[in-house]
Amino acid sequence: MTFDELLQAPQYSLPQREKEVLLAEELGALTEYHSRRCDGYARLLRVLHAGYNGVKSLSDVPYLPVGLFKSHMLQSVPESEVFKVLQSSGTTGQQPSRIPLDRETARRQTIALSRIMMHILGPRRLPMLLVESPSLIQDRRQFNARVAGLLGMMNFGRNHFYALDGNMQLDIAGVRSFVDRFGHEPFLIFGFTFVVWQNFLLRLAEQKLDLSNGILIHTGGWKKLQEQAVSAEEFRRRFQRETGISKIYNFYGMVEQVGSVYLEGEDGYLYPPNFADVIVRDPVTLEELPLGQVGILQVLSLLPLSYPGHSLLTEDLGIIHAIDSSSCGRYGKAFSVLGRLPQAEMRGCSDVIASMVA
Amino acid sequence: MEVELLVPQVRRASLEEVVALLSGQTESLPPFSDRSLDFCAGLSQAIFGDHEASRFPELLALAFWMRKAELITLRSQFQATAQTEAISVPCGLIFHIPPSNVDTIFVYSWLLAILTGNRNLIRMSARRAPQAEILLRLLRESLGRAEKVLQNSTIILSYGHDAEITRVLSMMCDVRVIWGGDHTVSLIRSVPLAVHAREVTFPDRSSLAVIRAEPYLTLNPKAREKLAEQFFNDAYWFDQMACSSPRLLVWCGTPADAQRAADIFWAALDNCINKKQFAAAPAIHMRKLVFSCESIVDLPVSNYRRSREVTVLTLDSLKSYPREHSGGGLFFSARVDHLSDLAPVLARKDQTLTYFGFDLNELREFALSLNGKAVDRMVPIGQALQFSRFWDGKDLLREFCRLVHIPSPSGNLEPGSYSPEA
Repeated sequence: MTFDELLQAPQYSLPQREKEVLLAEELGALTEYHSRRCDGYARLLRVLHAGYNGVKSLSDVPYLPVGLFKSHMLQSVPESEVFKVLQSSGTTGQQPSRIPLDRETARRQTIALSRIMMHILGPRRLPMLLVESPSLIQDRRQFNARVAGLLGMMNFGRNHFYALDGNMQLDIAGVRSFVDRFGHEPFLIFGFTFVVWQNFLLRLAEQKLDLSNGILIHTGGWKKLQEQAVSAEEFRRRFQRETGISKIYNFYGMVEQVGSVYLEGEDGYLYPPNFADVIVRDPVTLEELPLGQVGILQVLSLLPLSYPGHSLLTEDLGIIHAIDSSSCGRYGKAFSVLGRLPQAEMRGCSDVIASMVA
Repeated sequence: MEVELLVPQVRRASLEEVVALLSGQTESLPPFSDRSLDFCAGLSQAIFGDHEASRFPELLALAFWMRKAELITLRSQFQATAQTEAISVPCGLIFHIPPSNVDTIFVYSWLLAILTGNRNLIRMSARRAPQAEILLRLLRESLGRAEKVLQNSTIILSYGHDAEITRVLSMMCDVRVIWGGDHTVSLIRSVPLAVHAREVTFPDRSSLAVIRAEPYLTLNPKAREKLAEQFFNDAYWFDQMACSSPRLLVWCGTPADAQRAADIFWAALDNCINKKQFAAAPAIHMRKLVFSCESIVDLPVSNYRRSREVTVLTLDSLKSYPREHSGGGLFFSARVDHLSDLAPVLARKDQTLTYFGFDLNELREFALSLNGKAVDRMVPIGQALQFSRFWDGKDLLREFCRLVHIPSPSGNLEPGSYSPEA
């Protein structure tokens, strides 16, 4: 099965063993491909993974730490073929990742995302409520992961309506008329997890709006909600109670592997699509960990051609719960993301007290 | 404007109050008086005797460094530098700005200043490790029992984002001592001092170790174990982020000897770390991995060796050796034929050279050949973190004193020369 066949086959339909054989072969070929086209990657393969001797199983695929893309823009295509550089939104003070895309990689990302979303949305475009402010995409200077994510998702909707105004306040009248018009049939709601909670649900709480035909897709991470002690279960429960929405899907993804989206199943676990997979590794030894143990996530994807990002060690903690045994009919690994690897405070002479005069 | 007073008492205080405290204290002791010596020796004993403090090796090292015998040696060294035509007197008020995360530096800085008879103002960071809190408590207790002039010799405070406070305090001091990164030093340097005052800065530095392969290979396993442990102490105590912790290990010798010695050495270090059950936080491992990748892409790295706590990147050439670093147990490794081959690659930023297998004459010759270009310290492996009055090329005892010049009379004008009878 080639990449295209993997894409076209129904997602989540491959038993893990079968899938691993296919992925290992393709990822091995991608490793070769990038080492021929990207000098930096070739050096890394030769020095960091000196023992590399081809891919026999998935865990043999050499990885790069995702943090490398913050300082280095590695690319496997000539400058002239780069048509867009994606940047992570990045929290303040942090350098964003920079990912060069050529047309083919971008095409793969678009098709991949649509294959994944079609699995839950069906083949037709749905009316779409964007829990976002229209100003986000009007300002084209900041084309970051958030904008890219939003634009990518907009492809799956029609009659787009921005639920938030320029000040991120809920446009309740607008939402009401959107629901009056489209609420009797399935419609799509998309936004970033924290925004969807804070600027949408909490504002909607007293409005008695029936959104029960809505399908909510959200992403962006749980960090801010965890700080408010809102769990994924609480998130679902409150949405169901206040708005009637029962179809809620979170997804995990990153700018370094756009299109490789890990979408929640109805059981609340995340599932890799046919062309991607995850491995959990011990954060210290970097050895692969067995099922049920918490470690850092390595993400593997067949999408990246313009940069050597087909196998990345993230700084996210995760756990694989089960393989090929989901209650929602999905094959492959069922996993959860448990948040960021906690930052360590380092000692030393040099970090100090700039605040004294700042 | 308020500050958090930490010594002599813990309480909130207004800036005006601190200024009044500082201006009210004019009495001081001469350099190396018995009274200040006894007081410091007493503090050393208090640290040794403190149940909490004894859990931290760096506090015990500090206490050892300021025990009575050591202070007496320091005094005789100080007296030996006396000149016939100039008398050493204290500078006055020293404003110390220690780094927020090497928790004991402020005591070293303070100690040399108080021994030379100065009054002290120390600005601590709001982020303080338990080690710093213990020291502050012991200082409060010791000062509480001391005589008035000593009690008045030290004010320690903490304050946040307030340039105005730094400005007011800076105008009052005679010497300002800044320990910190380049950024901090530059930033605080932009705050003016009184016209007569001077500044002592300790910016970012980088350090290396040099081992001669041949004598290393003749060591017995016990001695190799010992050297590994000393190297561990130098590098890992402050997550390799102390300025004097080695980040580069240079082997001197033939390629074959160096390779053999390196294999033995890194294995011995792994063993030492396993025995100590030392383990860095997962995020530090990730930072080291990212830094390794960056280095492999950018530099002539020919080999990568990663064990649980030790990452080694072998450099084919030291030409573009970077001074940026991840910390946490990552070492560049390189080889030269002779010590003198290092001279072209060393830079002003290089502070401490820890060594094994060289005699003092070789090191002196090397220092002379560098002629001020680089390196402020050469100490045996194991002593990288051992603080000394000589630091970053300065003699702190001298920095904290002024000289009053009284030349012996020369020429013809003797008393009586003016006598009308003459």
